[in-house]
Amino acid sequence: MTADTSLDEPAEATREASRADRPTNILIVGVGGQGVIMISKVLALLSQMHGAEVKQSEVHGMAKRGGVVFSHVRYGKKVWSPTIAKGEADVLIALEWAEGLRWLDFLRPGTGVFVSDTRKIVPPFACRNRKFGADRAYAKETPAEIVSRVGNGYVLDATGAAEDLGNTRAANTVLLGALSTTLEFPAEEWENVIDQFVPKGTQEVNREAFRYGRDWVEKARRDPAFGLSDANAYEAPVLLPGEVDVELEINETWCKGCDICVKLCPERCLALSEKHKATLKNPAACTGCRVCEWLCPDFAIRVKRTAAAEAAE
Amino acid sequence: MNEVATVAGAETGPFEIRDYLRLELMPHFMCPGCGHGIALRALLWAVHELGIEKDKLAVVSGIGCSGRVGAYIDANTFHTTHGRPLAFATGLKLARPDLTVVVISGDGDSLAIGGNHLIHACRRNLDMTLLMLNNEVYGMTGGQVSPTTSEHRLTTTTPTGNVEPVFDACRLAAASGASFVGREVTLQAPALKNLVKKAIAHNGFSFVEVMSDCTEIYGRKNDLGESPEMILSQKADMRPEAFGNVADQPFRPHRLATGVFAELDRPEYGAVYRAQPAFRKG
Repeated sequence: MTADTSLDEPAEATREASRADRPTNILIVGVGGQGVIMISKVLALLSQMHGAEVKQSEVHGMAKRGGVVFSHVRYGKKVWSPTIAKGEADVLIALEWAEGLRWLDFLRPGTGVFVSDTRKIVPPFACRNRKFGADRAYAKETPAEIVSRVGNGYVLDATGAAEDLGNTRAANTVLLGALSTTLEFPAEEWENVIDQFVPKGTQEVNREAFRYGRDWVEKARRDPAFGLSDANAYEAPVLLPGEVDVELEINETWCKGCDICVKLCPERCLALSEKHKATLKNPAACTGCRVCEWLCPDFAIRVKRTAAAEAAE
Repeated sequence: MNEVATVAGAETGPFEIRDYLRLELMPHFMCPGCGHGIALRALLWAVHELGIEKDKLAVVSGIGCSGRVGAYIDANTFHTTHGRPLAFATGLKLARPDLTVVVISGDGDSLAIGGNHLIHACRRNLDMTLLMLNNEVYGMTGGQVSPTTSEHRLTTTTPTGNVEPVFDACRLAAASGASFVGREVTLQAPALKNLVKKAIAHNGFSFVEVMSDCTEIYGRKNDLGESPEMILSQKADMRPEAFGNVADQPFRPHRLATGVFAELDRPEYGAVYRAQPAFRKG
């Protein structure tokens, strides 16, 4: 069984490109390990099979720990440059929300299609203040705002969908499904090419993921309200300052003053007292990370956090 | 890392170490900064997360600083003779297969005096867990050289530095047939807890080497710094990588690897023993 190929609207991204007789530009962005390269491989092979010339270039070097990965794919009758200039991408696929926003000005104004996962991967450096409930330096724009700003925007919770299908790693295939609706290739060919690139044993879940993405865009085209249904999925709970409470309980009778907690506290908020016992010198700096509790050989420190703080973890 | 399933139906709330300690014996006797306390917390934490009832937990320990660790646990504890906790635990587990048996032993206890018991316990593959707290020295008796003392280190019996090669306990256990072998440092307490959890959940003999610190005797004699410096040095000395096969490591690696080295599905001795015709008749 294959997905329905007769869509309500023709392939919008390629329509404009073929009219102008120029290559189709697709920019895929994300962070390490999400499958950016896999998407570009599928795309490159598929367009090659259709007799197009393909150029693909990528940067993935610093990606191991959540770093930026991007891949430019250009295909058409004749492709000269391997990279896409600002404002010339016909489709921008973002596997991570903030990455999508970072590359947004590469999208062709007016006609560009923006396909993005709404799931946020917050990098550690976005948490400048390590206290519980502290404000994060992460993109504040809501998906609804972005959709209203771009020509065509499809924002879906691809990670959540893949999770429901049984394999979180199929999130990129969900987005491939969404992408496939904007290009001219038939659905069966997409599925056959995806089969070649996914690990053995995951073909079935990837086919399902692909169809999910395709159906999702179809539904969103018919019903704009559905298109925003995932926009606010999986928002991290926001804590008010008063709700966050961390308390350190130090048992002086058990403490032997070994100094481990003082030296290993990442915030340096502990000190040894005159009696050579651990004391909380700077309660305001304590984030409740529990390192002192884990490493106290004498079980003298107990970190108490409120229920709200636990829930935010 | 795969999460180990808890005992069916067990609801484990936040871990509160006081629930698992004999409070009347606290504070414990160990020296300031001794890594054995961190290892004890990791064990109790793992027991808590696995949802094992205190009445169903039996901790057997030998002699030495590590031998005293078991005494602070509010469960069934058994303080045995030097080097023989595995022998006692084998009898206990065969008689009471319903108990979760954890053996706490030191480097000298299990590699020197109890070396024979260790290799044969590994060979039999009876379902129990051995936590070998390796602090590289006999701390309780004044700091004599042990089979794991690093080369050139000073102890009371090697006043000019140790010249003997070091025993690699994980290789020994894996070669003897232990079906689960792992090593972790006390600095990585949550990782240690996860390793112990896996080891306890494993059906068969599990060998866990815990790299601990003897701060007062070994650290002082060798000028290794105070407790924080010693525990932080674990970061430099260990490689957090699992090797598929411990035999591929050099005999005396400069930096020790941590992680799970062996996880095999071998017949468990207790089940094999009870399946014998003579046992079934009786």
